[in-house]
Amino acid sequence: MTTKTIRVEYLTRVEGEGALELRIDGGRVASAQLNIFEPPRLFEALLRGRGYAETPDIVSRICGICPIAYQMGAVHAIENAFGVRVEGQLRALRRLIYCGEWIESHALHVVMLHAPDFLGFADAIQMAREHGDMVRNGLALKKAGNELMRLLGGREIHPVNVKVGGFHRLPTRAELAPVAGSLERVREHAVALVRWVAGFTFPDCERDYEFVGLRHAGEYPFNEGRLVSSRGIDIDIADFDSEFEERHVAHSTALHAVVRRRGAYLVGPLARYALNFERLPAAVRALAAEAGLGPVCRNPFRSIVVRALEIVYAVDEALRLIAAYEPPDYAAVAAPPRAGSGFGCTEAPRGICWHRYDLDAEGSIVRARIVPPTSQNQPSIEADLAAVATAVLDQSDETIRDRCERCIRNYDPCISCAAHFLKLSIHRA
Amino acid sequence: MSAAARRVLVACVGNPDRGDDGVGAAVAAGLAGRLPPGADLVSCSGDLLALVDGCAGYDALVCVDAAAPAGSPGAVQRLDLASGALPPEAACTSSHGLGLAAAIGLARALQAAPRDIVVFAVEGRRFDGGAALSAAVAAAVAGVTELVAAEAVRLCGGSMEVAADA
Repeated sequence: MTTKTIRVEYLTRVEGEGALELRIDGGRVASAQLNIFEPPRLFEALLRGRGYAETPDIVSRICGICPIAYQMGAVHAIENAFGVRVEGQLRALRRLIYCGEWIESHALHVVMLHAPDFLGFADAIQMAREHGDMVRNGLALKKAGNELMRLLGGREIHPVNVKVGGFHRLPTRAELAPVAGSLERVREHAVALVRWVAGFTFPDCERDYEFVGLRHAGEYPFNEGRLVSSRGIDIDIADFDSEFEERHVAHSTALHAVVRRRGAYLVGPLARYALNFERLPAAVRALAAEAGLGPVCRNPFRSIVVRALEIVYAVDEALRLIAAYEPPDYAAVAAPPRAGSGFGCTEAPRGICWHRYDLDAEGSIVRARIVPPTSQNQPSIEADLAAVATAVLDQSDETIRDRCERCIRNYDPCISCAAHFLKLSIHRA
Repeated sequence: MSAAARRVLVACVGNPDRGDDGVGAAVAAGLAGRLPPGADLVSCSGDLLALVDGCAGYDALVCVDAAAPAGSPGAVQRLDLASGALPPEAACTSSHGLGLAAAIGLARALQAAPRDIVVFAVEGRRFDGGAALSAAVAAAVAGVTELVAAEAVRLCGGSMEVAADA
């Protein structure tokens, strides 16, 4: 038996460090493993013994691109443990800052990291020479998202203004006005981005995903909702462990998550979109139809279109929230600590991010558990890799490698969040 | 173009709370009030996305940033990018933010970059969170500040000579 090995030492345009090993035996893909070898970052252990008030600032350090996801998961979980609910304009401001994160994160991925795959460029800098207008649009969108994050969060990377019970400082209407101006200016860029990416050529690929995400009674979800799936799961977020399980696997320092009864599932834009299509405003649904999408999209390569649609949604939602903003009398509600457990689950740009904290009577953290989206998607990434590689198995190793790298980038994975960089090995027997 | 019409952007890059990565901020503090008319000073920390369109409209860009340790902390290298790029090893290690090389590369691809770009790279020793500048880098700050000020004068159309390598 002969074995052929192909290695990609450094997969570009993915955040973090990992490797892919593809084993081809007897003309079929025997296994596809996403090997995450980045050392565990130990945030959950680091949180033990820390005060509840420190938590939003500590967890925001998990990620530079989606810190709000971690902050929101943490504050909602702690408030849940303390029996506190944040309502009204404070709740609206939390949606607003999340809009900022979706805009900047999605714009970065769609234009700078993902689009080059469809146009045959090695990176966004090379792409910019021929598609300068779209790159400028993407950068303007990211800038607008950052502006929103900076105003509400104090700074765009690792924001410092989120606290249990609300915020440290509230924005004024006057401060929000120029941000609204920026958002209004970039809205047409967001729409142009949808039309641009919808015109890309996509590989034929339909995957039978179990979509998992939040569903709220009336909103496209950010911070609240029941945890639902396309195969019937409909639970309170506190019951996550009843349906989902995290497992150690030998080839990853990040835990794999599965539906207990079925296995791999998908979180992120495709899942959110499929589970909440009717919650999107009519204008976004119409744009989706124009982009060739129905209410459900199962082609992972088209996730770029859904991300672009979510940028439009986030811009519109941010503008709506700003227009309706009346500064409340207080920046945060009282959140006196008490012993207990609390749960938080929000829709990070890459999918649901689930938190559980056990706290003592003084509000010190006894135990923390954080389930980030990329670790949940690992089994699904591996299933996609096997399917995608199978479809091009008769082609060159270079083609297989290229298609596999693209397959991984469909997920906008943040390996650093999950535990960082990709090395691809293909073994042919 | 007349000397008075030339505009120069001086960008001091780095996180002041990350040890020697704070050399840019330290140089920026020293440059306050010392730059010639026509030169603007900006400090950049974290993602350098803002530099991509921030440098548009300028005739020249001068950057100060920390460089990875290579055995000579505090050593200063002047890189003239008028006809080249930063070395690949200057690339940012994260896909989630633009480093200096990517920001300059992208600005050039978008035809937003000034023609003249000079980077002063100061070799660091430590980049720990919350750490101060190392002694070697702290000792280099005054000299780098002089070099950057002189470069700005030269690029604005002044006559001060700047050494090819510091």
